[in-house]
Amino acid sequence: MKIASFARFVAPSAALMLLLMALPLAMTFYLSVRNCALQMEMVTVSESTPFGTREVTTQRAVLGPDGRALTTCRFVGLDYFRTVLGLGSGASAASAAAPPEASGAGAVPDNAAQARQQRSTEFIGALRFTLLYTFATTPFVLLIGFVLALAVHHVSRRWQGPYISATLLPFIITPVVGALAIKWLFRDNGFVPYLLSQFGISMFWMAQAWSAQLLIILYGIWHVVPFAFIVLYAGLQSVPQDSLEAARIDGASAWQRLIYVTIPHLAPLFVFVTLIHLMDAYRVFEPVVVLTQGAFTTSVQVLTYYTLLDEQNPYKASAAAVLTTAGIAVLLLPLLIKTWKEHRRG
Amino acid sequence: MNRPTLRRAVLASATLLALAPALSLAKCEKLSQPKAGEINIVGNSFPALQHIAKEMESCSQGGLKVQFKMTPRAREETEQAFASAGRSPFDAAVVSMGVFANLDSRGQIQPMTDLVDKYRAKYKLEDSMLVRVNGQVMAVAFMQNAQNLFYRKDLFDKHGLKVPTTYAEMLATAKTLKEKEPGIEFPIAQTFAKGWDSATEFANLFAGFGGRFFKPGSAQPDFNSDAGVKAFETMKAMTAYMTPNFLASNSDDVMNQFQQGKAAMGVLWASRASRMDDPAASKIVGKMAFAAAPAAVAGGPSATHLWWDGVVMPKNLGADRDTVFQVLMEALDEETVARGNDLTIWVRSSYKPTRFGTGVAASAKAGAPIWPSQPFFSLAHGEIGKVIPDVLTGAMSPKAALDAAAAAYVKAATDKGFIK
Repeated sequence: MKIASFARFVAPSAALMLLLMALPLAMTFYLSVRNCALQMEMVTVSESTPFGTREVTTQRAVLGPDGRALTTCRFVGLDYFRTVLGLGSGASAASAAAPPEASGAGAVPDNAAQARQQRSTEFIGALRFTLLYTFATTPFVLLIGFVLALAVHHVSRRWQGPYISATLLPFIITPVVGALAIKWLFRDNGFVPYLLSQFGISMFWMAQAWSAQLLIILYGIWHVVPFAFIVLYAGLQSVPQDSLEAARIDGASAWQRLIYVTIPHLAPLFVFVTLIHLMDAYRVFEPVVVLTQGAFTTSVQVLTYYTLLDEQNPYKASAAAVLTTAGIAVLLLPLLIKTWKEHRRG
Repeated sequence: MNRPTLRRAVLASATLLALAPALSLAKCEKLSQPKAGEINIVGNSFPALQHIAKEMESCSQGGLKVQFKMTPRAREETEQAFASAGRSPFDAAVVSMGVFANLDSRGQIQPMTDLVDKYRAKYKLEDSMLVRVNGQVMAVAFMQNAQNLFYRKDLFDKHGLKVPTTYAEMLATAKTLKEKEPGIEFPIAQTFAKGWDSATEFANLFAGFGGRFFKPGSAQPDFNSDAGVKAFETMKAMTAYMTPNFLASNSDDVMNQFQQGKAAMGVLWASRASRMDDPAASKIVGKMAFAAAPAAVAGGPSATHLWWDGVVMPKNLGADRDTVFQVLMEALDEETVARGNDLTIWVRSSYKPTRFGTGVAASAKAGAPIWPSQPFFSLAHGEIGKVIPDVLTGAMSPKAALDAAAAAYVKAATDKGFIK
């Protein structure tokens, strides 16, 4: 194909990808190296509410002539990346430029050191759990998904419809609702603790790290298995019957046919499911927020969310988002290289 | 569809149609000269708000269309809309006082003093409903909320226990109940979940111990103090009488522990009180009573905070101001309160208090302060919420955790321009 006609074929999708993927990412990066803050001034106001009137010393935005709050923006370089990772100078660009506070200035550096410590363990803890979740769920998702696909493939035609629908259910349920359902099963007075108590076992699932983490991993497997199942089940329909026949005539057992014919045929699909799941798993969010609210189980994505929610700092959250994207890229690299090599050989 | 089924279906829909006007009790008939156009309002989702939202939407008439968007992300959507450079996508919002503090500090709320004066008589607006900042009416409040003490009156009577008025008494009572009452293994239930919930518990106790969040006249932190350490120590002492799952216990879980009869007392939101008597979900109908949140120190104020919810209009309002205000007031009138009397604790004087609101009134009477309204408070609150699990599991000492939270807060507040 001529270069010109190739370009014309590819142009629309390239333009779309640029617009919908590259541009937002560039925007996020642009935000992450900046910080904008309102110009605030200290004021004392009288405030009346249903509970009476009081004087409050607070801060208000300085308003410009058009009645809108004045904002100052500045370039902060990679400061937010260092903060999110818990590295570096500790003081952000904004505070580095500011003179130390008059009273109690001596106490702040010690605190800052401690906070740095706290922050770095926070991020490392989140990263550790996110990776644990990712790598603990992936093999089970593939294995259980494949076993289910095989089972459905071999079940009689009549039962396949209902069987498939039932298997897909966890995937269809909204993640928040699914996580809530799991939480209700495992919290105080829930079904599982009740069942265990019948055997004299008293178990509090959200009370220590291992069981809280296990719960979220179990949720992850439960939620994603149907995806692996449906992809692999579709793949099973396309296994060449003549190869299977030939293998049978050559005296291959069912196990050998599975290992030497079916699985190699499905290999690209295993890679596909793994790729998608790695991307999804690294962004684990709902089960953490719903099941444990982050106790013992903070994930990278939850940290970003809290930066936005608690600190109301979209710039720092952007840095966290860029880092998350980078993390996913690192995770996917080995698989992508493998696929690329196969493609070249192909 | 066979014939009898079809006939039944037609009959059913006809009946529904006939009933429809009677079913939609919401009325909106006092609007004077509404301007045609679209009015969009945003808010959270809870029973009292659903009631009000229906009332607002019933104002759609002629060329006027009122739409209420209920979303769990109301806070984020409201803040984005009010901050946008052009016309705000929402012409009004229902906010809690925490969100109000943020919006108002950024100068994004439209004063409605003139409209209040114009319509005061028509909508019977009461002074207690008007939220004023330096005399200007910035919001109209309609309901209040507070965390107050829930306790099992039947069990307290059975063992001759007094209602605790301090946290020390509460711990002693918990000890007695744990020893004497089989089936109550964990007498106390409170919202100690990581983040917002437990940070709010801390704030209640901290204020109760006389703590000051910030140095006077500045946004510099002052919560890494003795009062902070005491608040953490009290929380830690309570965990001995709580389910070991406390770090994952939010309002829903605490409510469930009460409803299942597994916990005997605790400080929880008044908005959850009526659910104690919901026969579909509760095994303890009629057995829960409500009192002031205990004080942190004997003779001190009730260790909780008072909250209000109200309506605000953005400065970058696009719709007709007068019409928007009337729609809001229609939904906050006496009639609406009368029809939804038991849904919440209304601010209007025509509200008839139920037993579910007694805890809030008692807490207010026992000196509970109002939730802090500085815009930088939510940053401090957020940082405190992050370190609480480390304190309660013993991974960090209270003082070290508070210092870490204070340092993290300084950084966050500096980035936001509160600390220079």
